[in-house]
Amino acid sequence: MPVVAAFLVPGSPLPRLKPDNIPWGRIAAGYQRAGRAMAAAHPDVILMYSTQWLAVLDELWLTRPRLTGLHVDDNWYDYGDLPFDIHVDTELAHACVAATRRIGVNSRGVNFDGFPVDTGCIVANGFLNPDGSIPVVMAANNVYHSAETTEQLGRLAAQLADEQGKRVAVVGVGGLSGSILREEIDIRSDRIASHDDDRWNRQILDAIERADVNGLRKEVPEFAKTARADFGFKHFHWILGALQGKFYGARTHAYGPVYGSGAAVVEFTI
Amino acid sequence: MAQGQILAGYLAPHPPHLVYGENPPQNEARSEGGWEQLRWAYERARKTLDELKPDVLLVHSPHWITQLGHHMLGVRNLRGKSVDPIFPNLFRYNFDLTVDVELAEACCQEARDAGLVAKMMRNPNFRVDYGTITTLHLIRPQWDIPIVGFSANNTPYYLNTKEGLHEMDVLGKATRRAIERTGRRAVMLASNTFSHWHFHEEPAIPEDMSQEHPARYEGYKWDMRMIELLRKGHTREAFRLLPQFIDEAFAEVKSGAFTWMFAAMGYPEIPGELHGYGTVIGTGNAVMEWNLVKAGLVADAPRAAMGA
Ligand SMILES: [Fe+2]
Repeated sequence: MPVVAAFLVPGSPLPRLKPDNIPWGRIAAGYQRAGRAMAAAHPDVILMYSTQWLAVLDELWLTRPRLTGLHVDDNWYDYGDLPFDIHVDTELAHACVAATRRIGVNSRGVNFDGFPVDTGCIVANGFLNPDGSIPVVMAANNVYHSAETTEQLGRLAAQLADEQGKRVAVVGVGGLSGSILREEIDIRSDRIASHDDDRWNRQILDAIERADVNGLRKEVPEFAKTARADFGFKHFHWILGALQGKFYGARTHAYGPVYGSGAAVVEFTI
Repeated sequence: MAQGQILAGYLAPHPPHLVYGENPPQNEARSEGGWEQLRWAYERARKTLDELKPDVLLVHSPHWITQLGHHMLGVRNLRGKSVDPIFPNLFRYNFDLTVDVELAEACCQEARDAGLVAKMMRNPNFRVDYGTITTLHLIRPQWDIPIVGFSANNTPYYLNTKEGLHEMDVLGKATRRAIERTGRRAVMLASNTFSHWHFHEEPAIPEDMSQEHPARYEGYKWDMRMIELLRKGHTREAFRLLPQFIDEAFAEVKSGAFTWMFAAMGYPEIPGELHGYGTVIGTGNAVMEWNLVKAGLVADAPRAAMGA
């Protein structure tokens, strides 16, 4: 199997922008542990899918060799800017664009200066690939794609990397429960929006740690509905696809709230 | 200082295709034209806006989505390149805009006083969303009138249409109070498409108008029904039907700009002037104007006479 590492990580910028706030600092610390695991795995490429990069027509893949700049989040601009320097594995990205017809998906490469790379990709790449030395392939969340289609996309991308003889790290960027607190809060006492959301998050993380893939397939749709899981938890399906539906366990490096919604840094045992 | 007033409101949708079709120098992408009916509709709207000579344009855009309250642009000058995340092939626009920060602050304060969560956006590196920029270019390509930009809080989607639009109504009324107390002569811009069913593939030549038509007949019929009511001045009836329109035509007015604008104007029962209607990648777009000066609802007080 070409996949040498797999991570599920949050796309919220808050742990990146304000790690000195204790609840968010815990997530940042978990992210840093995942970053060390990433470096130790020596991947040739990171296959990244972020729920926050929305597409509505074709499936989109970044095909610009390098994207640099300063990103400001639409919601959390108060906490500062996110500098980014992203190197894209264009050979693999083009192969993905060309191949998705096989699974009935039209794809398009995105190669424009100033393209608004989403907050999730920038945060995840910043934590997991801090010097930008590992090339990435970034795929959009087409809002009309099902969990199954997303899983197929992840599987296909990993297969194509394998055909190119590359060691792959797969990263799904997105949250757990999706309800945020809708009033200004004291950020030091940030908490998951409800007990039910918290219970759901823990149940899903527990099932991931036990590698209960069949159970997860049954539970995730309910989790998505009841706990407003971030875009139906499709970022998990991206990972599952790349892992061909198999992993042996997982380690939760961090779990906690980001303004009420659920965030976890999870490293899969593969 | 004389009391400020709202001179007019425009329904001013933001398909980036219209900017692409026009080929202005600010946009990198080049086209052979396309969507002329809608672009000519905007040409007419530009003329009437010009005659009003407003101090400020206020725009509410569905593509600056915020979760924690309603946000207003609060940096005097914002510039940069706006690339549309969905249509980057069509819209890569270099913008440079001036914000009426004093009015924005007044809007924010009034919204808070009305019980809403509201915030000023003060980060100078902020990238203004493509909905705001597209609407502003289409209605006033000279960029010589200061603006106030409002985010779309996601309540209509997060809670439900009714509660979400109630918040937009409160925001609209707060906006009106801010305009009045700052003495501005203002124009409101609701950056919304009507029926929002769209095609899932773009033609090889995006501006190939032989491929352009309503994505769904139901959406088209709903658009015509709403436009007809609005042209007759049946505002109350249009707003009674709005939740059903939103559900059955997937209308983008759900995001709140349309309600915000009408709440600010006091839901006048006056005929709206349709400058034009057309589809863009299947979605229904109407450019309409409610001119409160022409309708005699506000006295036209030219800028000099107001001593502003
Ligand atoms: Fe839109």
